[in-house]
Amino acid sequence: MSIIELSEVRKTYPLGKTEVQAVKGVSFRIERGDFISIAGPSGSGKTTILNMIGLVDRPSGGEVLIEGKPTSKLGDRELTTLRHETLGFIFQSFNLIPVLNVRENVEFPLLLGAKRQPRKEAAEWVDFLIEEVGLSDWKGHRSNELSGGQRQRVAIARALVTKPKIVLADEPTANLDSATGEQIIELMKKINRDLETTFIFSTHDAKIVDIADHVVRLRDGLVTENFRRERAGAEA
Amino acid sequence: MQTAMLAFRNLSRQKRRSFLLGGAIAFGIMIVTLIDGFAGAFVDNVSENFSNLLAGHVFVEGVEKSPKGRDLEIIRDDAALREAAEAAGIEAKYVSRRSGLQGSLKFAGRTATLAVQGVDFEAETFLAERLALASGSLDDLPRDGIVLPEPIADKLGVEIGDRLLVTTRTYSGQQNVGEFAVAAVIKDPGILGSVSAYAGRDYVNELLDLAPDEYQALSFYLPSLKGMDEAGDRLHAEVSSRLQAFERKAPGAEGGNPVLAMMRGEDEETWTGVKYRVTTLNDALAQVQQIVDVLDVASLVILLVLFLIIMVGITNTFRIIMYERIREIGTMRAVGMQRGQVRGLFLYEALFLALGGAVAGLAVASLVMLGVGLIDFGLDSPLFLILRNGHMSFRLDWARVAGKVAIVAFLTLAAAFFPARSAAKLDPAVALRTAV
Ligand SMILES: Nc1ncnc2c1ncn2[C@@H]1O[C@H](COP(=O)(O)OP(=O)(O)O)[C@@H](O)[C@H]1O
Ligand SMILES: [Mg+2]
Repeated sequence: MSIIELSEVRKTYPLGKTEVQAVKGVSFRIERGDFISIAGPSGSGKTTILNMIGLVDRPSGGEVLIEGKPTSKLGDRELTTLRHETLGFIFQSFNLIPVLNVRENVEFPLLLGAKRQPRKEAAEWVDFLIEEVGLSDWKGHRSNELSGGQRQRVAIARALVTKPKIVLADEPTANLDSATGEQIIELMKKINRDLETTFIFSTHDAKIVDIADHVVRLRDGLVTENFRRERAGAEA
Repeated sequence: MQTAMLAFRNLSRQKRRSFLLGGAIAFGIMIVTLIDGFAGAFVDNVSENFSNLLAGHVFVEGVEKSPKGRDLEIIRDDAALREAAEAAGIEAKYVSRRSGLQGSLKFAGRTATLAVQGVDFEAETFLAERLALASGSLDDLPRDGIVLPEPIADKLGVEIGDRLLVTTRTYSGQQNVGEFAVAAVIKDPGILGSVSAYAGRDYVNELLDLAPDEYQALSFYLPSLKGMDEAGDRLHAEVSSRLQAFERKAPGAEGGNPVLAMMRGEDEETWTGVKYRVTTLNDALAQVQQIVDVLDVASLVILLVLFLIIMVGITNTFRIIMYERIREIGTMRAVGMQRGQVRGLFLYEALFLALGGAVAGLAVASLVMLGVGLIDFGLDSPLFLILRNGHMSFRLDWARVAGKVAIVAFLTLAAAFFPARSAAKLDPAVALRTAV
């Protein structure tokens, strides 16, 4: 069973008296542990598709299945819980909470759910993630004291803190210089290997698309290409 | 818990704005607290001073019509009154028979105007217990001895043994002059007490041109404040059946003080002999209570009016806050915050704002009360009725303060509720893509 399946997904936005067809019937599957890039030029529908996979937006037609479960009939509360438990988010402009420091930002999603982990265990996990993204010396700093690359590292740790099966990243490198952007993607890749988390990221940067092992290419709201790369050493 | 902490920190994001809103809330709380504090002390001071001054809860006064149509206060023979009191079942802790003059005391070029109560110290043993002596003694009081409140003694600069000149009028209105010897000084008993002195009834009667066994007011000091009006009614019934008596007036019946209403009625009546007026402390204080009621309503109205204005500010501010933080709201919703939690975040922020403002307002009000309390208005201030020792005094009923703070918190939450609900209802996708 695919971890995510899109089946004839469409999305139309009202625009004045007419409507815009942002996504025009898209179907593809994402497998567990994928490191997948949704590629395409600006306006091709990347954000719209990621939002629907991320359950923050609803398709106008078709179905998004998460672990085989259809999601179109779920209410807001159930969708929110599903997002909290299954999904992690990384945003183009980092979206850290400015009144919280690095550690608190990473910890934040943990404190939202109904289920609570034991304190000590949770604290160790938060510290481990901060270590993982290389910010151990910055735990007490707020986001306005960090560089763009550092902010995105905090966001990555935050996305992982609830141990989600899937992490979604909408153009995570667009606000970073190319060297920093590549480091961020490499970090995501490392975590994808270490924790077997499924990563879905969108980009319009060809160099970054190259790092993905599964690419879905979009144009004008339609899939134009969907392929897997077999890499040396990626076997077995 | 997490939401509360975040809400608290969010308050510090726009410090100037938080200070403005919190300051407005503080201002509202301060104003009503000052009014409440004033009203609280007002009742306290006035009741205390009246009960001190009048020495009782149920009163009988005798009134004679002079040939010129003036009302003269006198009780010539109280045998029938005592009988009536017994028949009415008045169980008084103390009974006092007093005369009183309004006089101007002079000493070494200084003058003080005050009431002098003529008291039978031997019968009113309780008075000696109640008066707190600053100096001198009530034992072996000379016939012309006077007991002065400390502020008056200070004002006149007299000491025990000094002799004072007194200018006054007899009960029928003739000028009269006499002398008092300062026998004792009592600690200030409060607003009205501080303009009232005590002297032997025999000598006061002499100055009033009353016979030694005559007096002006018979008072019954009841064991408790309860049942005072019923006791007054029963006594009135018994007095009416034996003697001439004025109709009792119900408090507020003619939109004012029942005692004054009775006195007005007497002006228009004519009669011969002594006619009796039966009143209670509640009758006398009816207007005080009315003033306090008005102040209570005023403070609530001011609170509501101020907060109607403040609420508009709060609603608008929280609407602005919602737009400023729209992407943050989208982010929090995406990572798993439920709608209710978003609403809670806003409401907590409003609650902290209200509580912070309330604490600041109470603190400022306390400082103002302390500061105003330090000002000495003097004992001859036209404000003397509401003062204590020439100082403004305040008393806060903490339950009332807590009630006002609760109202403020509720109104603040109500003002923030609709923006909070809008924030909670935001579609996360819309919130995330809205650029600010
Ligand atoms: N809220 C909206 N209202 C109207 N049109 C929209 C809205 N969001 C996106 N679109 C349109 O949908 C198409 C796809 O947008 P988007 O998913 O943001 O593409 P991408 O992320 O690839 O740049 C674009 O033509 C865009 O103009
Ligand atoms: Mg986009």
